Amino acid sequence: MIRRDVKVLVLAAFLLGVFLPISGVEVEGASRGDILVSRPLAEALDLAAGDPIRLARTRDGSDPWPYRIVGIYEPIPDPIKITRKRYEIRMHLQDLLDREQSSDGDEPSRYAQYINVGLVDPDRAGEVADQLNQDPFLYARPARGAGGDIDVFAVLERFHLAIAVIALMGSCAFLLALMVMRAEERRETAGILRILGVRRSRILGEVLVEGVLIAVPGALFGIVLAAAAQGSINRFFQWKYDTALVFVQITPLLAAKCLALSIPLGVVAGLAASWSILRQDPLSMVQR
Amino acid sequence: MSRPVVEARGLTKIFPMPSGAVTALQEVDLLLDPGESVAITGPSGCGKSTLLHLLGCVDTPTSGQVLIDGVDVAGLNDAARSRLRLTTIGFVFQRFFLLPMLTAGENVDLPQLEAGAIRRDCRRRTLELLDYVGLADRVGHRPSQLSGGEMQRVAIARALANRPRIVLADEPTGELDEVTGEQIAALLHRVHLDGTTVLIATHDRNLASSAHRRLVLGGRDHRLHEPGVDR
Repeated sequence: MIRRDVKVLVLAAFLLGVFLPISGVEVEGASRGDILVSRPLAEALDLAAGDPIRLARTRDGSDPWPYRIVGIYEPIPDPIKITRKRYEIRMHLQDLLDREQSSDGDEPSRYAQYINVGLVDPDRAGEVADQLNQDPFLYARPARGAGGDIDVFAVLERFHLAIAVIALMGSCAFLLALMVMRAEERRETAGILRILGVRRSRILGEVLVEGVLIAVPGALFGIVLAAAAQGSINRFFQWKYDTALVFVQITPLLAAKCLALSIPLGVVAGLAASWSILRQDPLSMVQR
Repeated sequence: MSRPVVEARGLTKIFPMPSGAVTALQEVDLLLDPGESVAITGPSGCGKSTLLHLLGCVDTPTSGQVLIDGVDVAGLNDAARSRLRLTTIGFVFQRFFLLPMLTAGENVDLPQLEAGAIRRDCRRRTLELLDYVGLADRVGHRPSQLSGGEMQRVAIARALANRPRIVLADEPTGELDEVTGEQIAALLHRVHLDGTTVLIATHDRNLASSAHRRLVLGGRDHRLHEPGVDR
């Protein structure tokens, strides 16, 4: 049942340094199977779909078997492997087993530590993992959904959340300091208004409106800036790390969260700063 | 007989200081009838400004009572005191206290709009007032574009904006030269003649002499006296 579900085997870095590409050269013997080559590897060795290639099990390249490249694929973006060159191939599991069992009775010199298995029906991942886990020498888990504590993206998300909280706290302190300075600048004006008979609530209302008028365009500007910059940031880091990982993505939900946080924060900071001045009596506001 | 515009009974103001309490006013009594013009004189630091602040509801006495138009201000909350200042009292300060970001006209508009005036009526009144103080051609000028005397004229126009029952002027000529001070004194005298009660705190003899009644604050007892009364 499991064998039937297995479609493609992905062997990450298994044959790094062990393949002998012969692009454009007639490879001796019939192809032992079809393989896929990762895009970075194909670029590094100038390989293309249809090219013949020989793969060996050992670094010295002895006993190479001929294969045919049937496609180039973009490696699945993985933050853990961001600094690594993704020199990978994919081959059918049976071809891999044949290759490994062909060594004249020697123990295989290399082994696969991890394999990713693509299922015809991904919804059955949990069931397949359970069956595999009946073998005491195997550990399997679904790649998505039940990642638990080793879900890299979940860990990254928590890390980003922590950074965001710290940045937000710092921004709040900075914003409050700015608003206090701004309120202090208008201390005498507020004092004059109070002496003339303008109510505190009226002045706070003006501050509230002003806060909204500053916070809303400020938040929108921040979102527009981030949205405009995300393309450049992604392109730069994708170029730098040769990955398809998306580093920045301004989603509508994220923009809404930004607005929902920044507007009340801006307004509250303005009100808090103004109240620190307005709660004083009018005379002390105009007498420095 | 008409009700006094301002009545102060036993006003005492003591400022707590780290080095010991400072008494600014002691048991001060004052009665201002409608249409009166009173000048309070005395040396610097004798408590003239403090008395005006108490009468203008911008400060609270340590003890004693202030009645504005028969209303005991001690029983008013902050909003009601603000309303009283806005509608019943006009302030003129030594440092003018015009809002620098507003034009002369807007400075005069402001208390009217705050009091709920319709913008069109408010502008008409502002133009009348600026004409009254001789600055009809300076409506659109900001305070930084006006001289000291002109700024004080705008401040007087602003003080009159809501047709107050009383104008409190605290050293209104303190920052002006003698000639300009005389012009301001004349203007305040005209305000009084036009029916507004005026209380001026000053050590300017000319300004004080233009008042209907003159009182002296100071001495060791920190009380108000008629001039020449032995303290």
